[in-house]
Amino acid sequence: MKTFTPIKILPLLLPVAFLIILSIVWLPEHQALLDNAYIDSFKIALIGILLEALPFVLAGALLSSLLRVFVPDEMISRWIPKRPIPAIIFACLLGVIFPICECGMIPLVRRLIHKGMPVYVAIVFILSGPILNPVVYGATFTAFRSHPVLAYSRMGLAFCVACIIGLAVYATVKKSPLRLSVTQETEETHQRSFRGGKLVSIFVHTSDEFFEMGKYLIIGCLLTSAIQTFMVHDSLVAIGGKPLGSYLFMMGLAFVLSLCSTSDAFVASTFLHTFPPGSLLAFLVLGPMLDFKNSLMLMALFKTKFALYLFFLIFSGVFIGSVLFSIWL
Amino acid sequence: MNDSRSIRMHYTLRAFILLSFALYIGHLAQQDTLHYYVTPKLASLVKLCPIPLAAMAFSLTIQALFGKSSALCNCDQHLPRSGLRSITLYSLFLFPLLLGFLLPDRALGSVAASKKGVSLTYVASEQKFISSDSYQEEFAELARILYEQPVISVYPEIFSETFGAIDRYKQPFEGKEIIVSGFLYPNEPESHDKSFTLSRFLVQCCTADATPFGIMVDPGTQISLPADTWIEVRGKLHIVQYKGQEIMQISAVSITPISQPPTPYIYTSPDSVEAWYQLEKSSGGASEQASAK
Repeated sequence: MKTFTPIKILPLLLPVAFLIILSIVWLPEHQALLDNAYIDSFKIALIGILLEALPFVLAGALLSSLLRVFVPDEMISRWIPKRPIPAIIFACLLGVIFPICECGMIPLVRRLIHKGMPVYVAIVFILSGPILNPVVYGATFTAFRSHPVLAYSRMGLAFCVACIIGLAVYATVKKSPLRLSVTQETEETHQRSFRGGKLVSIFVHTSDEFFEMGKYLIIGCLLTSAIQTFMVHDSLVAIGGKPLGSYLFMMGLAFVLSLCSTSDAFVASTFLHTFPPGSLLAFLVLGPMLDFKNSLMLMALFKTKFALYLFFLIFSGVFIGSVLFSIWL
Repeated sequence: MNDSRSIRMHYTLRAFILLSFALYIGHLAQQDTLHYYVTPKLASLVKLCPIPLAAMAFSLTIQALFGKSSALCNCDQHLPRSGLRSITLYSLFLFPLLLGFLLPDRALGSVAASKKGVSLTYVASEQKFISSDSYQEEFAELARILYEQPVISVYPEIFSETFGAIDRYKQPFEGKEIIVSGFLYPNEPESHDKSFTLSRFLVQCCTADATPFGIMVDPGTQISLPADTWIEVRGKLHIVQYKGQEIMQISAVSITPISQPPTPYIYTSPDSVEAWYQLEKSSGGASEQASAK
């Protein structure tokens, strides 16, 4: 067990390092940093993201705890098709049934994997779920009402990228990439006798999940709101001047801003007049699949090596896909 | 470290944190400041959160106080194993709560606007792509209604749509009289211009995606109001060149400081024409009072 120690402590050191760098870079030049207005906008961004994610994280934790208590292990594996391609398509459609945001996705998926869902199917679900669902489609459509083709291609590209990554994981990963191995989890199938019966045990499990995922969520929120408070948009827009630069810029922005998939479409739509549509598509697809708080949560779920491999697959898949789609846009 | 006593301690602490979160949300809802952070639509979801939070806190307390020691095991390895790590974990959760309770609730202002960059053109004015017809019709209809008004009063409920419609057609609105309220966002100091921007934050989901929208105002004379002052501007619309782009500007006749409205942000409306008729019906008297003043 001791081997996990440095890896687990690493994410906790990140915000500290970040704050030290921030103070070194900004303090000497800008006395205004100490101005109340900065702390105010930092607080507003932090509480805003946290409150926005809270219902979804709670829903995810509650769903996963319900699954744990009520759904027997065999049931999930019976539902999932045995052959890879139908299983992947099945996972893509799961998002339609569970319209939850990416923050609630990870506790739910963790439980599903422990209940016997194959890892590649779970990954397809993690990637496609936050985009391929009616709520996000509606939001994207509203934000891009004047050019709905972006909403269609967002759905299309998310579907393609999720399928391709699912196949890649199916073909290349044989060992369990989970941080806590499945065998270890099944050892504790002994029912814990809770006082107050099943209802209490559901809520105790929910709070376990909430604290487990909540720490990554809060670290993500802290970093995101710090970036939002201190980053100047205009200076970054200059980076995106070149054709391929705009793709990299928008993808970086999606990663850094960590917006909820139901709201990022609107932020993207304010860039319509400065960036080509292909790069907006990259922003819209990468953001829900991979961002600051999400990647911290993925690191908690998967082994570091596998998580990095996954990040690489997502990044390259979205980049190539959005460049290809831009020909058609 | 993970004997039953420390597990009880953890559970009590967790129950306390969960309860504080529930109380904080209740506090925000009671103060009616929840919409400073999330949109009204999401706020109704957030308001439900105290129920599961309280239930979780309650269950943890039951476990901590009455649970059998044999049942309290840390088999999932989910509790932190060292004292230092527990402190880090719980302070992480307490930090946003402390910020929330200690600092006053304020709406986003010009500091955030300057970081995000105020947009003077509106999304609707983009015509690079194939446009869907119903959307264009809605704007055309709204623009027609607005054009017929002797004085255009910009309702905050359809702020972005109203300026979207005006921005799209521009020419017919030259010289039209308009009343609009927002907060004062000073233009860059290097321009040595007395003009400023009247701005509003458009929020789609939560304050993280707040985008500042604004309209240039030419006050005529130098004004000495500080940034973030809420003002109502009455004046005439004109087309001007700004950084190589054609934008609308208001030549102000009067600028009156007002108190911050209860809903400082603006939101998008699914059907702006319908919303306009509704607003006109309900606040017809109120807008006349405003124009009489």
